[in-house]
Amino acid sequence: MTATSSATPAELVRALAVLTEPPSPDHARVAEALGFGEIPGSSVYTEVFLFQLFPFASVYLGEEGMLGGEAGSRIAGFWSAVGHQPPPEPDHLGALLGLYAALADAEGARGDAPRGVLAGQARRVLLHEHLAPWLFAYLSKVEALAGPFYARWASVLGAVVRREVEGEAPFDQDLPAHLREAAPLPDPRTEGSAPFLDGLVAFVRTGMILTRADLTRLARTHELGMRMGERRYILEHLLAQDAVTVFRALAEEAGEWTFRHEERVPLLGSTARFFADRATRTAALLTSLADEGETFLTDEFAVKSPQGGEEPT
Amino acid sequence: MDLNELNQRVSAARSEVEGRGETFYPGPSRIHLAHFPPKERWNDWVELDARSWPRRVEKRYMLVPTTCFNCESACGLLAYVDRDTLQVRKFEGNPEHPGSRGRNCAKGPATMNQITDPDRILHPLKRVGGRGEGKWERVTWDDALDDIAARIRQAMREDRHNEVMYHVGRPGEDGYTTRMLAAWGVDGHNSHTNVCSSGARAGYHFWMGMDRPSPDHANAKVIVLVSSHLETGHYFNPHAQRIMEGKKNGAKLIVFDTRLSNTATHADFWLAPYPGSEAAIFLAVASWMIREGRYDREYVRRWWNWREYMTEVRGRAGASFEDFEAALREEYASYTFEFAAAESGLDADTLRDVAATIATAGTRLATHNWRSAGSGNLGGWQVARTLLFLNALTGSIATEGGTFPNSWNKYVPKPPRAPHRHPRQWNDILWPDEYPLALMEMSFLMPHLMKERDGYVDVYFTRVYNPVWTNPDGFHWVDMLKDPKRIGVHVAMTPTWNETAFFADYILPMGHSSERHDLTSYEQYDGQWIGFRQPVLRAARERLGEDVSDTRAVNPGEVWEENEFWIELTWRIDPDGSLGIREFFESLERPGEKMTVDEYYGWMFENSVPGLPEAASKEGLTPLQYMRRYGAFEVSRKVGRVFEQLVPESELEDVHVDDMDRVYTRAPVPPSPKAPGGIKIDPDAEGRRRVGVRVDGEIKRGWPTPTGKLEFWSRTLHEWGWPELALPTYIKSHIHRQNLDADQVPLITTFRVPVQIHTRSINAKWLEEIAHTNPLWIHPEDAARVGIARTGDLVRVETETGYFVVKAWITEGIRPGVVACSHHMGRWKPEGHLGQRMGMSTVALEKEGARWSLNVRKGGGPFESSDPDTMRVWWTDLGVHQNLTHAVHPDPISGMHCWHQAARIRPAEPDDRYGDVSVDTDKGYAAYLRWLEMTRGATAHSPDGTRRPYWMLRPVRPERAAFDLPRSAGSAGPQG
Repeated sequence: MTATSSATPAELVRALAVLTEPPSPDHARVAEALGFGEIPGSSVYTEVFLFQLFPFASVYLGEEGMLGGEAGSRIAGFWSAVGHQPPPEPDHLGALLGLYAALADAEGARGDAPRGVLAGQARRVLLHEHLAPWLFAYLSKVEALAGPFYARWASVLGAVVRREVEGEAPFDQDLPAHLREAAPLPDPRTEGSAPFLDGLVAFVRTGMILTRADLTRLARTHELGMRMGERRYILEHLLAQDAVTVFRALAEEAGEWTFRHEERVPLLGSTARFFADRATRTAALLTSLADEGETFLTDEFAVKSPQGGEEPT
Repeated sequence: MDLNELNQRVSAARSEVEGRGETFYPGPSRIHLAHFPPKERWNDWVELDARSWPRRVEKRYMLVPTTCFNCESACGLLAYVDRDTLQVRKFEGNPEHPGSRGRNCAKGPATMNQITDPDRILHPLKRVGGRGEGKWERVTWDDALDDIAARIRQAMREDRHNEVMYHVGRPGEDGYTTRMLAAWGVDGHNSHTNVCSSGARAGYHFWMGMDRPSPDHANAKVIVLVSSHLETGHYFNPHAQRIMEGKKNGAKLIVFDTRLSNTATHADFWLAPYPGSEAAIFLAVASWMIREGRYDREYVRRWWNWREYMTEVRGRAGASFEDFEAALREEYASYTFEFAAAESGLDADTLRDVAATIATAGTRLATHNWRSAGSGNLGGWQVARTLLFLNALTGSIATEGGTFPNSWNKYVPKPPRAPHRHPRQWNDILWPDEYPLALMEMSFLMPHLMKERDGYVDVYFTRVYNPVWTNPDGFHWVDMLKDPKRIGVHVAMTPTWNETAFFADYILPMGHSSERHDLTSYEQYDGQWIGFRQPVLRAARERLGEDVSDTRAVNPGEVWEENEFWIELTWRIDPDGSLGIREFFESLERPGEKMTVDEYYGWMFENSVPGLPEAASKEGLTPLQYMRRYGAFEVSRKVGRVFEQLVPESELEDVHVDDMDRVYTRAPVPPSPKAPGGIKIDPDAEGRRRVGVRVDGEIKRGWPTPTGKLEFWSRTLHEWGWPELALPTYIKSHIHRQNLDADQVPLITTFRVPVQIHTRSINAKWLEEIAHTNPLWIHPEDAARVGIARTGDLVRVETETGYFVVKAWITEGIRPGVVACSHHMGRWKPEGHLGQRMGMSTVALEKEGARWSLNVRKGGGPFESSDPDTMRVWWTDLGVHQNLTHAVHPDPISGMHCWHQAARIRPAEPDDRYGDVSVDTDKGYAAYLRWLEMTRGATAHSPDGTRRPYWMLRPVRPERAAFDLPRSAGSAGPQG
């Protein structure tokens, strides 16, 4: 067993990290120790972590809203900077939490020695730069979407990270680099539709996390046809069917995200303000697009010819 | 929800699970930053088959631990045994191994290449033509064993024990073979150590009785390395990982290396002194510490033999410590930074900075010299001695972050049926009169001594050793091996073809690391561990319920292992027990039957390894099962300052304390599970054994030296003819500027590349692809001076016995005025011989009188074999065999071969071809005689009529009477 800093519940973090992996019988004793009950089947895991909420930081902190990219490289660089070979998926939530626990161990083991101080600083940077900016929003979505096992997991992890952030007050420092570098959602009227669609699925640009489940709900609510695929693909086809309705629905969603972020301002300070601002801007842009009517939208988001082989679902 | 409570609950669950020897977190997992399969799943481990990619095909493995058999680090390996085919599919690190901790260098996983080498020797072979003709026939093990055993039996019956010799390269094991030789009563242990590490070892031995350093790099504040060899290529895996830990913790790294080594690239100070001047630098640092009072006075006062020095050298028996300090200042006053700068060519201010940095270490000064300067130079042993001087001044010996003696960080268990006997004869081919203080056997002089003394060895084993290639003056070895008047039968025990095996009578195929049993322990941190090498397919089959008692049943072809071989051979030497040696290889439980390997190791693990039975019992295993499952066990950790331990009352009986505070007792030696050590301290006049030394009124364990103290001044050196070297001092190397002609430069030959290991790794295709040639490192200024225009140009390197032709590598990574050439490369097989195709050139060997030449006929390239990869060999350059052109340079004290060469460098001549070697062995013999003149032999200088100081280390120590010089000492022959 390794020594741990008194503040960080490193073993708990490590155990929660394990559960970001696909469930296996080996997880049973970890889940039992956490009091989470039986390990769910792999389909439950797949639904939450593969179809809805990829557990990768770069998806939420990168401008592309996808795995890897500059955000992924930045996180890999962080691993190197703290003396670890970056693992194959350096921004996986499990890996980041594992690293967080290891840094807490090192901090606890070495106390006030220079290495302990450095480990503590690295742990705080990891929290501030690569975990806290996206994790609360992410975990809130998991809690809302997942069944009881992973909802419980998200609730406990959220509580742990909240306590960690509270323990590092004042947390309101400079904006994390991921956020400083990220451009807002582009206006399709000036930038074109493709960058706009790319941006719509990027949390760091819109301030909102859109899952497939959110888009399915939107389609059902407004009686639109749903073409299953990546979120961008789904959005493209929803907009092609009724852009104004979709813009208004997304603007409403963005508005709700503004409130959620504002609630976290006391905890996260400028980071929460950044996302609240992003969500507000997103809502404004989407409302403006809806208000402009559908003339250009029809052209911009025309569905490719059905003769191309694609069938509406 | 109370997060702290939840955290504690998880911690408690983890402790409980891991306490059962299981893994709490599934692995390998990114979560806990580990990359090893959890040990409870080693029996049935599932991985995706890489070759089936992109399909996801699961493969099931048994993971069986063993120990690497390439370099001497003995790192742990895990063999992945395919459960379907029961074949080894790959090797990775063993996370349970305390020394290597799951990490390996390239040589470990490359074991896979070695066991699947299409050219490996699979059956016993016997020579059918003349020796060296390259004609062989396959024979049975029985035939070979009977023939060899009969010769040895005959030699023993005729009291010719000295005609049996076992010549070993890196042993890769502790105790088995020395036990066997002791049982045979043969003083025939011949190691390679005097071409390896004897120089530095001698320096350590004279200080502290023990002969190797064990630096605690991970906890050091300052690390000083004089090692182009070790941290770059020998123990480099266990050490390198700890050096990096130390650096991460803020340690300063100081590297002395004429060449920019891998280690030097990580250094805070890379110092490239003129080769051989290292001792001058350390003495300058020591002198500064002494002048400035930057040393641990109490430590020096308590633990140095300064009183003996003041009495014997200064003639002041009652001198105070302050008197000694004044004498110390005087002794070293001349070693100024300016002096060291002039010798080394380094800047005096830089040396001052280095000294100031070293002085910040306190007791956390980790220092190390293995080969490098210690093995390159005449007087190289003083490099290690002056380096340890710095530890002795700072009190950083056996402290956390300091430098330990090897014996305290190593554990060799006592074997069953330990033979309480010693050879009666002294083998003075190995321990000649001229070198009474040589740390180990004068192995590399064997051909010269045999020629000079008309020596004869009837049965000569070379065991995974290749002196023709490795040793200096290799053509002298060829002459000796081919001469039936010198060698009766030469038995080459080797897994792989080598240059020496070409001149054997028998070639007996021995296993690689996954095909043999051995027990190992090495000093790699402040702890003691044992590592178990085992035939992994035997262990795998045993897990499946099979009973395998002969390792040949699972090894490829008829490849065997040495443990079983020696048991079988011994029984055939002494089938009825009349020679009195069979008894040591009889079963404990079934006297009259052969001891099995399971019984041998099982007994040791049960009886001689503290803590192992208990650890095994916790998991419901026998100690042997535990070692077969995990491959290693840590016996102790944080051994600490053994010399400061108080001797318990129970060991103090009828105590006598002499005038040097040495404490003697009549109490018997308490039983110990460890094998007896190599140091023997004589009893007092009344037969009491020495038990410790009195320091400030307390009886402490002290050091295994004649005085029980750290020997700043060596009475041994003083009395055996070397009074001028009895203190740590500076000896000018044979390649010191004053000993070179104007057109000569030092040639550095001792450095290694990290992916090769001497001649043992040639059949590893992955390693060969990475490193297969050995160009001459030459500084651009030197290249311009001698007219070498480009990297790749052919260069003729002339030594005192001949020349070799090599390619230039023009680089600023070497000190100007010095050139360097690595070994490993330049491997060859004579035309018309079977042999290794990977990594070996085909050569023409010619001899006219004393003139030998070697010319490459065919280099590397693709070839057809059972391994399709061999058709993908893209390299043709296999390097040059430079050692053939080296004359022997035995240091008159340590006995170490002083490797550095005085060389002339010039562009190759028009008829020169890459790889050419030309040697005049008469010149080599003349060099032997020249160096012999420097010696001060036992007959002339022994203070007590013995051949060698009795206290000094000696493998397979002969009985006490054999130490006495023969009465007509001047005519001592091979039979002594």
